[in-house]
Amino acid sequence: MTDPKSLNGSRAEETSAEMSALLGKVAETRCRASFSTIYAYFAPRLKAYMMRLGADESQAEDLAQEALLKVWRKSGLYAPEKSAASTWIFAIARNLRIDALRKEIRPEFDPSDPAHAPEPETPADEALDRARRDERVREAFRTLPGPQEEVVKMYFFEDEPHSAIAEKLGLPLGTVKSRLRLAFSKVREQLGDLR
Amino acid sequence: MTEFRHHPTIETLARYAAGHMCEAQSVVIATHAVACPDCRNEIHDFEALGGAALETIEPVAMSAGAEDRFWATLEADDAQLKAPIERPKPADETPPRIEAAAPLQTYLQGGLDNVAWRPLAPGVSQAVLMANGYRRGALRLLRIQPGTSIPRHSHEDSELTLILRGAYDDELGRYAEGDVADLDGLAHHSPTAVSDEPCICLIATNAPLKFDGLVGKLMQPFVGL
Repeated sequence: MTDPKSLNGSRAEETSAEMSALLGKVAETRCRASFSTIYAYFAPRLKAYMMRLGADESQAEDLAQEALLKVWRKSGLYAPEKSAASTWIFAIARNLRIDALRKEIRPEFDPSDPAHAPEPETPADEALDRARRDERVREAFRTLPGPQEEVVKMYFFEDEPHSAIAEKLGLPLGTVKSRLRLAFSKVREQLGDLR
Repeated sequence: MTEFRHHPTIETLARYAAGHMCEAQSVVIATHAVACPDCRNEIHDFEALGGAALETIEPVAMSAGAEDRFWATLEADDAQLKAPIERPKPADETPPRIEAAAPLQTYLQGGLDNVAWRPLAPGVSQAVLMANGYRRGALRLLRIQPGTSIPRHSHEDSELTLILRGAYDDELGRYAEGDVADLDGLAHHSPTAVSDEPCICLIATNAPLKFDGLVGKLMQPFVGL
């Protein structure tokens, strides 16, 4: 019998690499068919991400759409050797959510809005092997023991992660913090030799 | 490449990468990261972790026709669909001084030489910057004249300090341009500006500034250094 976890794992690896290759193609040629595959994979995940972070279903769908519009518009800045597609799209969605929440508080146009700041560039030498490092991060994440993988996921998907994790898992705050610290250091350990 | 001695903690960089930080503290981390490749790399690691987590999230189906609406939005603005592909600009060979970093510039209209300083105590003045995100926080600049010491104090909540000009010494060592003091509520320290020029720090707390009563007004700036 095949171990379902490793089967899913290798399929997930393939999907992840495929998404990076497709986004690279969009970056080069604005290929709509490639983007359509990216959309099919990421739109429902981005919607879920926004909902987990407190948006209602229709807001979450709007934010997912907006995030993917941004991915399309900025796609020329994506380089597959610098970052995995999921890394890049995660950062865009995270920023979009923060900007959307800020606009609820400061709706007027504000020239000091950090959203208007230019994106920092990655120097060429630093970008080297960065995408391979992203793969290693993903590998490390997938091999975390169950309870640690769980808190890492919740860390990214909860608005106030420490207290939310403590409440949902019925754990003291100190245990949550040490479990997270352990998970982070395990991921970093596996990256140690790549630096 | 500038070598920094003091960096944000791993937990702080994770909070930044996951989007859990107030705007004020994000400005401090983003500004430091412009000049610090090590921290940039750590932040990217956490973004990769966030991306890996995103891949494993239980998807929620989009409503019918969502993708058609997506393309229609782009087509309605024809320019966006056909806009020339934006390419990354090459990074500057020599990084600018930390005070000129883009994330800070958006909050510092006119630069550090045109700040409206407000005196707080002999040798110490401050200016509050506007950084109201949806999480409460406060961002301000503090200027300490050479040789001036701040009385020993501790911190409420977490506070991030980025040195923009000059340097100070405290019980934990010397903090110079680009260094970040990432202190939690337990740290007690008494910094002394040691450079020839005034020491200018960017300070972000994850709680709003409070000015209650005269004593509070006088002591508040020292709570956070």
